Amino acid sequence: MKSHFRFKRFIAFVVLVAGFQMATAQNTVTGKVIDQSSGAPLPNVSVTVKGSNRGTNSDASGAYKLILQTGDAILLFSSTGYTQSEVVINSRTKVDVSLVLSNTNLSEVVVVGYGSQSKKDVTGAVSSIKGDQLQNVPVSGATQAIQGRVAGVNVVRNGGSPGSAGSIRIRGTGTINNADPLIVIDGIPAGDLNSVNPNDIASVEILKDASASAIYGTRAANGVVIVTTKRGSFEQPLKVGVNTYTGSSQARKTLDVLDASTLVSLKKERYTNDAIDMNPAWTNSSNLVQRTNWQDELFSNGTTNNIDVSLTGGSAKSSFMLSAGSYDEKGIINNSYFKRYSFRINSDHKVGKKLKIGQSLQLTRSNDNSLNTLSAQDGLIWSAVRFMPFIPVKNSDGTWGSSQSEPNQFGDINNPIYTINTIDASNSNSRLLGNLNAEYEILKGLKFKANLGVDGSHGINKNFNIIIADQTRSRSQNSLGRGFGEGYSLLSEYFLSYSKIFKEKHKIDAVAGYTSQTFDGDNFYASKREFPNEDFSQRYLDAGQSLGGIGGNRSYDALQSGFGRLNYDFDKRYLLTVTFRADGSSKFGAGNKWGYFPAFSAGWRISNEKFFNVSFINDLKLTGGWGQLGNQNVGGLQYLALVGSAGNYAFGNTTVGSTAQSRLPNYFISWETAEMTNIGLSAEMFNRSLQVNVNYFDKTTNDMLLSPPTIGTVGRLSIPDKNVGVLNNKGFEIDLSYKNQIGELSYRIGANASFIENKVIKLFDGNYIGSSIYGRQSQEISRTYEGLPLGIFYGWKTNGLYQTQAEINSDPNLTKDPRRTDGLVSPGDVRFIDINGDGQITEADRTNIGSPQAKMFYGFNTDFNYKSFDLSLFFLGSQGVKIFNADRMQGIDPTYPFNMYAEVAKRWNGANTSNTIPRMSTKRNNLNYRTSDMFVEDGSFLRLKNISFGYTLNESITKKLGIGKTRFYVSGQNVLTFTKYSGLDPELGYVDGNKQLNVDYAQYPQARTFTFGLNVSF
Amino acid sequence: MKNINLYKGLFILLTISVVGCKKDLLESTPYGQSTSSTFWRNATDATSASNALYSLLGDENGFPHTEQTWDICSDDQWRAGDHGEDQAIEEFTFDASNSQLGYSWSLKYEVISRANAIIINVPKITMDKALQDRILGEAYFMRGLMYWQFYKIYGQVPLITEVNVIANNYNVPKGTIEEVQNRIETDLKKAGDLLLSTNDAANIGRATKGAAWGYLSKLYLYKEDFAKAIEYGNKVISGPYKLANNFGDNFEPETDNNPEMLFNIQRTQGWTEDNYCSWYYAPRPWDGWGFQEPTDDLVSEFEANDKRLGYSIARVGDMFEGGSGGTTREYTAGLNNTGHFFKKYAKWRADGSGINQDLDVPLLRSADIYLVVAEAKIRSAQSGDAEINTVRSRAGLPPVSGAKMPELIHERRVELAGENDRHADLMRWDKKQIIDIVALYKKDRGQWKRPRTFSRPKHYYFPIPQRQIDLSNGVLKQNPNYQ
Repeated sequence: MKSHFRFKRFIAFVVLVAGFQMATAQNTVTGKVIDQSSGAPLPNVSVTVKGSNRGTNSDASGAYKLILQTGDAILLFSSTGYTQSEVVINSRTKVDVSLVLSNTNLSEVVVVGYGSQSKKDVTGAVSSIKGDQLQNVPVSGATQAIQGRVAGVNVVRNGGSPGSAGSIRIRGTGTINNADPLIVIDGIPAGDLNSVNPNDIASVEILKDASASAIYGTRAANGVVIVTTKRGSFEQPLKVGVNTYTGSSQARKTLDVLDASTLVSLKKERYTNDAIDMNPAWTNSSNLVQRTNWQDELFSNGTTNNIDVSLTGGSAKSSFMLSAGSYDEKGIINNSYFKRYSFRINSDHKVGKKLKIGQSLQLTRSNDNSLNTLSAQDGLIWSAVRFMPFIPVKNSDGTWGSSQSEPNQFGDINNPIYTINTIDASNSNSRLLGNLNAEYEILKGLKFKANLGVDGSHGINKNFNIIIADQTRSRSQNSLGRGFGEGYSLLSEYFLSYSKIFKEKHKIDAVAGYTSQTFDGDNFYASKREFPNEDFSQRYLDAGQSLGGIGGNRSYDALQSGFGRLNYDFDKRYLLTVTFRADGSSKFGAGNKWGYFPAFSAGWRISNEKFFNVSFINDLKLTGGWGQLGNQNVGGLQYLALVGSAGNYAFGNTTVGSTAQSRLPNYFISWETAEMTNIGLSAEMFNRSLQVNVNYFDKTTNDMLLSPPTIGTVGRLSIPDKNVGVLNNKGFEIDLSYKNQIGELSYRIGANASFIENKVIKLFDGNYIGSSIYGRQSQEISRTYEGLPLGIFYGWKTNGLYQTQAEINSDPNLTKDPRRTDGLVSPGDVRFIDINGDGQITEADRTNIGSPQAKMFYGFNTDFNYKSFDLSLFFLGSQGVKIFNADRMQGIDPTYPFNMYAEVAKRWNGANTSNTIPRMSTKRNNLNYRTSDMFVEDGSFLRLKNISFGYTLNESITKKLGIGKTRFYVSGQNVLTFTKYSGLDPELGYVDGNKQLNVDYAQYPQARTFTFGLNVSF
Repeated sequence: MKNINLYKGLFILLTISVVGCKKDLLESTPYGQSTSSTFWRNATDATSASNALYSLLGDENGFPHTEQTWDICSDDQWRAGDHGEDQAIEEFTFDASNSQLGYSWSLKYEVISRANAIIINVPKITMDKALQDRILGEAYFMRGLMYWQFYKIYGQVPLITEVNVIANNYNVPKGTIEEVQNRIETDLKKAGDLLLSTNDAANIGRATKGAAWGYLSKLYLYKEDFAKAIEYGNKVISGPYKLANNFGDNFEPETDNNPEMLFNIQRTQGWTEDNYCSWYYAPRPWDGWGFQEPTDDLVSEFEANDKRLGYSIARVGDMFEGGSGGTTREYTAGLNNTGHFFKKYAKWRADGSGINQDLDVPLLRSADIYLVVAEAKIRSAQSGDAEINTVRSRAGLPPVSGAKMPELIHERRVELAGENDRHADLMRWDKKQIIDIVALYKKDRGQWKRPRTFSRPKHYYFPIPQRQIDLSNGVLKQNPNYQ
């Protein structure tokens, strides 16, 4: 009853007000229109009432006045060169509006550290990627979406398993230690770019040279990637956006392996060639039946599903952006998956006239499992290539196929399908990234900003190993391991920024401040063995009977810095930027904690000079800069002589712990410094339709922290890093972009290319740096030497096979080699080259046989828009790079009890039958399959990385349905790959940090994915 | 107004900068660890440090990749397994970069480094003298043992002692063979003085006087100082280190710590690292990795009623515990290539749950010392019959009289089958022309022991790992004949 009465009252009130409105039907609204970035008033802006043709224009001072009629709700402000703005009147009489410059590249604003600049004023090397290039790319992390978009930025994919991120390398690999760039997300230098939903990203700025990155000092030696997520705008009506796509993936290719009958006959041939008795296992005729192609069984269709919803809006004083998303990927190997749930809320508020407060908050939770695809003992794909093809996946009685009947002949590998069906390992990670910032305008042009941030993560993992009885690699005891890790990073920054124009010609922008960040980590793990019941409900630590192991630890590190930057612009023609930063790190001992990093760059806008009148060049700018940056991304506590736990032992049945020194100290350990020089030229031509940007850079890392090769007499103590190395990267980058319109077809073409030469200048004492060894043969593949790029392949050179005994007898490479006289070299063996001329093939004949560092990597993309259709293609590639096919090195070797590559059928079995595949043998007399140029292949490739075709529904249809812009699209990832490389995938990534790259361990290959998706906005 | 705002701003800035600049923000603490300046305080620290002497012995590079592998060169075993580098080692076609050579190099020096740390620091601790002596004794013992093992493999190695640690000089040239032998002798003698005769139940597995004297007497035998070999060997024989009643007791988990066992690597289910040593010897299908398979040639060395054969080597038809569900299972022909494996090192749990990880790894038994004394006596024109017959009667065999080297050689081979001494023994007998190792290894013993070419004197010692030569930047020189 009451509510009914209240309602009547309310109606009466409304009518009254409405009546009042009508009485003063001729309502007037006034206001001022300004440019958002410069604050300058905008004349001649068209102000119209939406849905009508009534309007006016703003005057010279940006002011306008418009008479409204009943029902007028929204005003439209438009001006050439600016994005049109829609503003709700909301019964106001004064509506001020700021307009944003639209798609003219040079007028864009780019985010630089602690501020933003107009692109035309930037003197350092900064590249921008707009958020819409990262939209709806079906990848699990933004790192992958960046690949190939920007010159000088290479993303090295470390395999294609779901959730696998990839490493970003800006202008070459700058150090042998951690060469990852600094990632700044919404102002917080945070670790994980891949926790951000790519659809939440508004823009990514990549600071490539010293001058741009110097403001981040210590951590910026490898470049900086600044991510800005989407935010709402003030005076914006509520907008809802929905993005969803679903896709399916397949393996692009499998390796050809021998079928059962060919394999058996080749296995037998080995015994014949060696004149020894054949192992009876090979006489069984059931082994001649081809039963299984293991790679086909291992790879199946994967799926990708994504949905995210976002809400943006804003009033005069507050704006917000809310988004939530779910990404679910199942990989092409069964039982591999990655899921991510993300939630974001960003908001900005104006409090009074001088105070602005902003906040960003991101919560992510991801789950994945990690399959073993890197081991040359039992990696999944490695096993699938080698498991005997006459073994069925499952026997007729339902048990799993196994090599246990003849492990010495049929291989000590487990049935890979059995393995993926019994893996029980999972990781889950929750992440919180949040910041709160405030900006207070003290005086005109002088602002004080404070930024407080937190980056927290929790990781939990679980790994249950079952008892394996019926496979060759058996396990007699089950066990469960649980691990937990937590990390928090707290950031607090305070800085002042000042901006002023003096006497019209002198523009000064300055920023100075203080920042500190702490990194706290905590972890523990526990494991138990002997679980009597392997049921899923019993796989918890409580059910284990005996303790396997337990431990835990904590870590703490901190950074403290002061920084300042000054930008000076004289008459829009001469630009100067000077930066200075002082950083203290907890990683170094007293007296070595602080480092000082200066940088400067200058620019000359040639096109603004009076003498410049080349008609087709709209903008021409020459820039140059130099600076020093630091890198402290190495292990901490290296200045202490640490004593710690040295393992357990048991006396009788009493278990005891032990303690021993674990590390020698380096009291003098300190920063690595990178010194960078950059020269750039950027131009806009032909009515701003063509943009060109060319840069030359030279980056040298000095005092590179290297762990000196430990002489064995020291024992197993960790030797601390010493600042001794020098590494250089130099090269060229080109970015091109062209856009045009022909009738209703508008198109844009972009291309980028980078040419980088990577060279190690100095190592410890002239010695080389080795890397991890490969496989069962324990072979060395990669080394790093002075004067060569990082991680070159180091092995023997070959020259075909010996076809006859006469060739062996007369071979100058073997004149003094005892193996010839001992009868260890036979026709059909590999002819190695005696590099040092001593007449023998020894370790001294090894040399540089190829470099895994690409000489050039590039990308190009085209976008077409025709009426309601859009088509975009994105290619990327790499040129002048070598891959060491270690899997083939082991895969054509007949001395192991495994299946082999199909090409082995063309082996040498008589004079002139082959000059590439050695003879079959069970012996390793000539070590035919050692690390040699036989296995170095050209790794250049060109990939059609993404093709996307979309259709936007007609506005009239969508209006009737009550929804906004609706677009359907189909897209493909990794659709085509052009490469001469014979392995599964030419993008192989790092195996041992930066010391080993592009060695094929049969890593998880990248899949070809097709998706179908829908974007709707309301 | 303007000014107030300015002052407000500056004030805020000031307070924050004062609060923000915490002095100790940049101090990092080693959690869960100490630094060397805060360790070495008391008996607990010293004991914990002494435990560290042993904790690496069972590491894969502490035994399987080293002492256990070198003997594939002998006529007792075939390498088996899947280590590509082993073929060259077994067939004497290796060069200095063979990866097998380097596996245990830094591990042995790590044990030496831990011993050096104890020798430097423990005397400064105020603690119970008896315990202090024992701990120092253990350090000298382990250092001596490591150099003994180095000596058998490479002959000459850099000698790192507490002097090097204090001078921080680890890159030194090799000692001569004499210097290496002297170092071993000095360290083991000191150990013999400081260690206890036997350890109590809580310390089973720690070194004893018997262990020190045992290795010392072997050293003297290798040096051909027969008098001393007999002297120290007799100290073991007359000490509390009697032979076990049953030969097999040495190789069963319940009894492997009997008085005969002078030194072994302790293993326990669960806490300690997994029993790599067992895994290496056990056949693949029975949870092992199938390395080092005994040859038929070794099996045929045993006399007809020698009880030891049954305890040492598996033959087709033998029954074993450990079948699934608690059954026993038969050792069949396909489980190993040669049809045998060394039973001394692998036992299975009766309930079928896998390899028994409680089985310790024998390194030195007093039976070995009996035979050392016997040999020293025979080669110094005395009778070694008493010692040989003690060993033989335990094996259920009739006594010999007037035994000479052939009988001694035979007895060592069957008593210590698979205990990784055969190749070293053959080489030292060859040096004195007691046997002809070149002819012995040239014999064709079938598919699993083909003829091999041993070159003397080159192959008497293995080369120093090439990587260590490279790293020393010219200080460390390679062994003779390998340059």
